[in-house]
Amino acid sequence: MTPSLPVIVIGIILILGAPILLHLLLSSSSTYTTPPSVLLLGPDNAGKTALLTLFERGSQPAATHTSQVAHSIELNASTDSVTRSSFRNHDDATGTHTKFFLVDTPGHGKLRNVAMGRLARTEKVKAVVFMVDAAALGEHDILAPTAAYLYDVLLFLQKKATSKGKDKASIPVLIAANKMDLFTALPATMVKSHLEVELSRIRASRSKGLLDSGVGMDDVGSEEQDGWLGEYGSEKFTFQQMGEFDINVEVLPGSVLTEEPGADKWWWWIAQRI
Amino acid sequence: MLDAFEVLTTSGVVLWSRSYAPVSPSIVNNFIADTFIEEKTGSIAPSDSQSAATNPAYRSDQHTLKWTFVKELGLIFVVVYRSLLHLSWVDKLVDNIKTIFVELYGEQLTKPHTTLVECHSFGEYFDQQLQELDKSSTVGSINPIDDQGSSRPSAAGLTYRGRTINGGAAAAQDTTSADSTPVPTPNASRPSTPGVVVAKAGPVAKMSRRARKAHNSGSAPASSGDEALSSNRQKKSGKATKKGRKWNAEGFADEEDDDVQLDYSRPSLTSDSEAEAVGRSSALDAVDSSTWGSTSKGKFILKDLGDEVHDILASAQAQKAQKSARSETKTGLLGSGVNAISGLFRNVVGGKTLTKEDLDKAMKGMEEHLLRKNVAREAAVRLCEGVEKELIGVKTGNFESINAKIQSAMESSLTKMLTPTSSLDLLREIDSITSPPATSLRKARPYVISIVGVNGVGKSTNLSKICFFLLQNKYKVLIAAGDTFRSGAVEQLAVHVRNLKELTAREGGRVELYQKGYGKDAAAVAKDAVNHAAQEGYDVVLIDTAGRRHNDQRLMSSLEKFAKFAQPDKILMVGEALVGTDSVAQARNFNAAFGSDRALDGFIISKCDTVGDMVGTLVSLVHATNVPVVFVGVGQHYSDLRNFSVKWAVEKLLSGN
Repeated sequence: MTPSLPVIVIGIILILGAPILLHLLLSSSSTYTTPPSVLLLGPDNAGKTALLTLFERGSQPAATHTSQVAHSIELNASTDSVTRSSFRNHDDATGTHTKFFLVDTPGHGKLRNVAMGRLARTEKVKAVVFMVDAAALGEHDILAPTAAYLYDVLLFLQKKATSKGKDKASIPVLIAANKMDLFTALPATMVKSHLEVELSRIRASRSKGLLDSGVGMDDVGSEEQDGWLGEYGSEKFTFQQMGEFDINVEVLPGSVLTEEPGADKWWWWIAQRI
Repeated sequence: MLDAFEVLTTSGVVLWSRSYAPVSPSIVNNFIADTFIEEKTGSIAPSDSQSAATNPAYRSDQHTLKWTFVKELGLIFVVVYRSLLHLSWVDKLVDNIKTIFVELYGEQLTKPHTTLVECHSFGEYFDQQLQELDKSSTVGSINPIDDQGSSRPSAAGLTYRGRTINGGAAAAQDTTSADSTPVPTPNASRPSTPGVVVAKAGPVAKMSRRARKAHNSGSAPASSGDEALSSNRQKKSGKATKKGRKWNAEGFADEEDDDVQLDYSRPSLTSDSEAEAVGRSSALDAVDSSTWGSTSKGKFILKDLGDEVHDILASAQAQKAQKSARSETKTGLLGSGVNAISGLFRNVVGGKTLTKEDLDKAMKGMEEHLLRKNVAREAAVRLCEGVEKELIGVKTGNFESINAKIQSAMESSLTKMLTPTSSLDLLREIDSITSPPATSLRKARPYVISIVGVNGVGKSTNLSKICFFLLQNKYKVLIAAGDTFRSGAVEQLAVHVRNLKELTAREGGRVELYQKGYGKDAAAVAKDAVNHAAQEGYDVVLIDTAGRRHNDQRLMSSLEKFAKFAQPDKILMVGEALVGTDSVAQARNFNAAFGSDRALDGFIISKCDTVGDMVGTLVSLVHATNVPVVFVGVGQHYSDLRNFSVKWAVEKLLSGN
């Protein structure tokens, strides 16, 4: 019973190779494709959850209250069907539909890290919808935190777009100016200009502000701490400056609660990005 | 009476609600923010098994909210009523509704990627419970003005992925609740127009019988078509949800529908008035009315519904008892052995459902770790209790040990606690006060910051650090010497001002000292300084105060007057990182010292460079007061002031020893 050399070699190859072969076979056969995601961000009371329920139900949004956890739903969008420009496409059979997840995040200040964590962790983020309450944006008390949140989001996306490596991606942003049906609502252009002015102000004050605790002396002035949003050194911030990083920012008006102007514009924007 | 009852998820969607009086949604929003997000009520993370009676009621100015919470499903049950009323049965109502709702719709809630829960028919169960518990109340007062399921009806027959979400379903709900529930309320005589909410219940309730008759016969044709649908639907949903119901007249009901329905109003009317006369119907009643021949399907349904509800409640009770019994009596030797082995295995592999016993030891370790990081005992214990309650019943992930799970839960809990509710950009706040936008009608005035604290924590030092930071941003700063007590305090500030002047001469800022010598009333000095600054066009006033012992009532009481006189925009308290357990009492007393309508706005944690990783004091301070940390002092120089970064603090707190 003395096995010949080829038998030993073949045996060893078989024993070592079998697990690898099995793994390759299994990993190729199972197609775990995660559908793309669209994130809903924004301060509390902007209408994120209401928009989510509107898209899901197709008829009317459900009553909502302050969210505490992120929640995702599954939706289908298409760019070539009959009802492509409307979210009421639940029983539309024409065209090709793409499945995607719409992820709602809590907007409360204390839970913002949940939302930002979601933005950092979610795979295949195709677009970010940042909801603002256009009716309340005229007041400084609402505008300031809204802009601060938007600043954080844009800065995160900018870092992601400029980063080198695997997770480099440029994600378009839609600023959905909600509650256009209300009397005090600002028109979309005003929403845009208000936010731009406030963002320039935040950018200026951040650049002059104190360092964060935990930043050591040797980190000062390094690339990572450099948090300048948009075109460096520019006086005024405009959303166009984000184009430098391939981040397309658009402001579209709409309202969740009423038919007119409705949410179709937002839906079409999302459908095009999926 | 009740004002509203709502069933909502933690993701913010209202699944089912009924309101009897208009309730502003902001009441429930505030309740959620205060109780669940900011945890202001002092209760630690709400645990699952608690009933509404043990959960502290939330009070807004006019309303009282009672609530209960189902953790694994993320469901919140809230009832809103006027604070004037003392409704003893509300706790029981909330608990029973919780049990019933979870039993009926719990399965639907576990589905991922959807917010749809079909619970239109829940109204019946709710009515039944309300009837049963609220015997004391007058019948006429229960007129829902709005009753909605998860999806409100729009166009009839619209389907979504094979599920009927409106139209027929809503009609079914409406007809069943209107016709077949013989609750002796005016509700029963409500016209069953699908999807249209009855505008005002009051007039309907007061309508004469004739008018009501007209009303009903008028609506009869409309409802007749839906009736078959409704019974069909009931059968359909009966499969999934209505276990244990005895359909003693199932076929009967089906046949009768169409022809009886046409003059449905008449029998239902008689039984209605009958019911009104007798009061709540019993089983005996039902038999009686059937022998009369004026059978309304409603009778049977009421009886069934009541039985069903009782069944659900009883089985829930039994399950609970069984569970507790099981936990006491251990299974046999073999069983326990297998359990132990699989438990050990799961410890390593993950996928283990955590119980209190599993967590106990690991939580002790975490508590000790926090204590070692200089977190006050009180804060550490409460943090750990919160995390423990959050984790009980949670499954660990793949290859995730209990310790890793606790670590991550503690991290998120600390992050949530330390993250401020609103942004703390000091420069922007100063700008908005000193140069208000033209559209607002405020006048420009100096921004007033005052600094308080215990003796020797570094009030004057931190004040001059803030001053240096402001001067670099080209503000004109006035420093007011509010310490009129300790000898040398004014001179100390004068030295700081002289240094700062020299340091920032080139930067373009301007700083002056405002002082009135010793022995004067500090509050008056502060007020004069603010007036002086307004006249001279300063941007910021920094007020130093005398250090005081937090448990000396005499010294602390002068702070209230100080806050009233100087009207500071920001009151910052300086706390040492060195102090241990006493920090909790310090923070509490200072926070309460400024009167009922003013509190601290932020903490400055000084001497952080002297403690290394042991930054637990800031957790104790924030924990005790819910006031955010604004600045951190990290050295001896004017430039050694830092914005507080939550990530940094959490990393330090959880880092190994």
